[in-house]
Amino acid sequence: MSRVLPAGPGLALVALLALLPVVIGAQVVPGKPDAGGMPAPTVALERGRAVYVLNTCHFCHGVDLTKATMGAAVLLHSPLVGADENGNVIGAVVRAGIPNLQTSMPAYPDLTNQEVEELAAYIHYLRQLGRHKELMGASVAAGDAAAGRTYFAANCASCHAVTGNLKGLATNYDAATLRARVLGPPPPAASVDAGAIAAGRRQHLTLLEKYSDDDVNILVAYLQEATK
Amino acid sequence: MLSRRQFGGVIAGLPLSALVSPPPPWERAADAVRFGLETFSFHDLPPAGDPRLIPTIVKNMVEIGLGECEIMSGHVEPWASYTTGWWVQSRRAPGFQKVREQARHWRLTVPMDYYRAVRKQFDDAGLNIHLYNVNFNETFTDQERDRTFEAAVALGVTGFSSSTVLTEAKRLVPFVERHKMFVAMHNHNNLVDPDQFATPASFEKALAMSDYFKVTLDIGHFVAGNNDPVAFIKTHHDRIVNIHIRDRKRNNGPSRPFGRGDTPIKEVLRLIRDNHYPIRCYLEYEYGSFRFSVEEVKRCLEYCRQALA
Repeated sequence: MSRVLPAGPGLALVALLALLPVVIGAQVVPGKPDAGGMPAPTVALERGRAVYVLNTCHFCHGVDLTKATMGAAVLLHSPLVGADENGNVIGAVVRAGIPNLQTSMPAYPDLTNQEVEELAAYIHYLRQLGRHKELMGASVAAGDAAAGRTYFAANCASCHAVTGNLKGLATNYDAATLRARVLGPPPPAASVDAGAIAAGRRQHLTLLEKYSDDDVNILVAYLQEATK
Repeated sequence: MLSRRQFGGVIAGLPLSALVSPPPPWERAADAVRFGLETFSFHDLPPAGDPRLIPTIVKNMVEIGLGECEIMSGHVEPWASYTTGWWVQSRRAPGFQKVREQARHWRLTVPMDYYRAVRKQFDDAGLNIHLYNVNFNETFTDQERDRTFEAAVALGVTGFSSSTVLTEAKRLVPFVERHKMFVAMHNHNNLVDPDQFATPASFEKALAMSDYFKVTLDIGHFVAGNNDPVAFIKTHHDRIVNIHIRDRKRNNGPSRPFGRGDTPIKEVLRLIRDNHYPIRCYLEYEYGSFRFSVEEVKRCLEYCRQALA
């Protein structure tokens, strides 16, 4: 049986991708949310995965961004990727390469803008999956609620209020559940505007890529204290 | 039981094809150059040290129809190549020193029968390991270098291919002279570090150090470093053991499927064929693909055969 990649994306492509040895670690199956409650991948993400694999990014960075052979950066924790928005940083590095170092990351000047954006989206998606897994498995420590208040004010207060839409969280949930909800918030009520839901989800996913272990601990400590 | 005369009669009655087994596909008269592969081409192998690894390489080669290879040390030893100091960055990794010492201890104590057993698996399938790819570097001790040459003898190879540097080449001179075994320098495309093999001048410095130094010319990396492999082969064909065939774009560009990069694969193969240079032509599949390695290497081979058609 041929395992040739079809010319266009679609469900046939998706079914074939599941057979592929080089990408099984990523466990991306469109239409099926992963166990962490992350959003289901889209066809655009599948195209991003194709760019990632066909340009051999996985050789050095791994199928789940955790590998770092040949001097490559661990993209799961790379500050450069964390600073990227819609491919503005990733695209610049990928197009120029990192020439003539021992790592010798090749240059990919021929990638189209769409390919760069979809590649970046796929890398962010893998980071979100990877960080969710890491943070859910991290050892939980008591956090500094005062520091959590500052973090909340800077990153969460534009959408949430501890005396408003978050009131009662600490009464209803224990620390472990709060932590899980911080890392993977459940969908809001149907009455919430769809645009606001999408914007909120984007913000949560961006934060998920950037949270340190301590960020989560202090945030949970603050929510436990302030949302009773 | 048949008498000698009866036996002779039976043999005489058989068709010739029953007496002479057909040649394996890698002895095709149609191939005007000797093809082989770098075992790096197999991206979907069991991990280093897994007992299924060598049988999988053998099975893949038979399926593709390639009769000889350059085998990576990471496919022979129970360690990935970079854990033995191949990449400078890997030497800075946490815990590297401990892993490196383990690898050194293994190299210095493993019985030579270990390597002979690897060789036997290739022999049994009618395949040849022509080169042992060991990336000599400053983390090797002299004792370890000696032992690695002994391992190459046990492995039955004719010499080494090595991604190494000029400073290490200087250290290797007494070893290649003593063991009378060549080391073929393999290039990448690092044009900044003068210690790296990336330009004709860097190769020429090593070739001047010893007659036992040869070249494994990676024509794809050579082109990515904006060099001309055709010109280099014309000048140095008598010191080139093999080429690695991959297709990269110029200006540190990426690897592409054969025919879609800037590497003059056709011109190089025809140059070798037309001049009867005894340079082995080893495929190195590196670009990204959603196919399994065996299928992709078959495509690389077919491209090269078409180039010579």
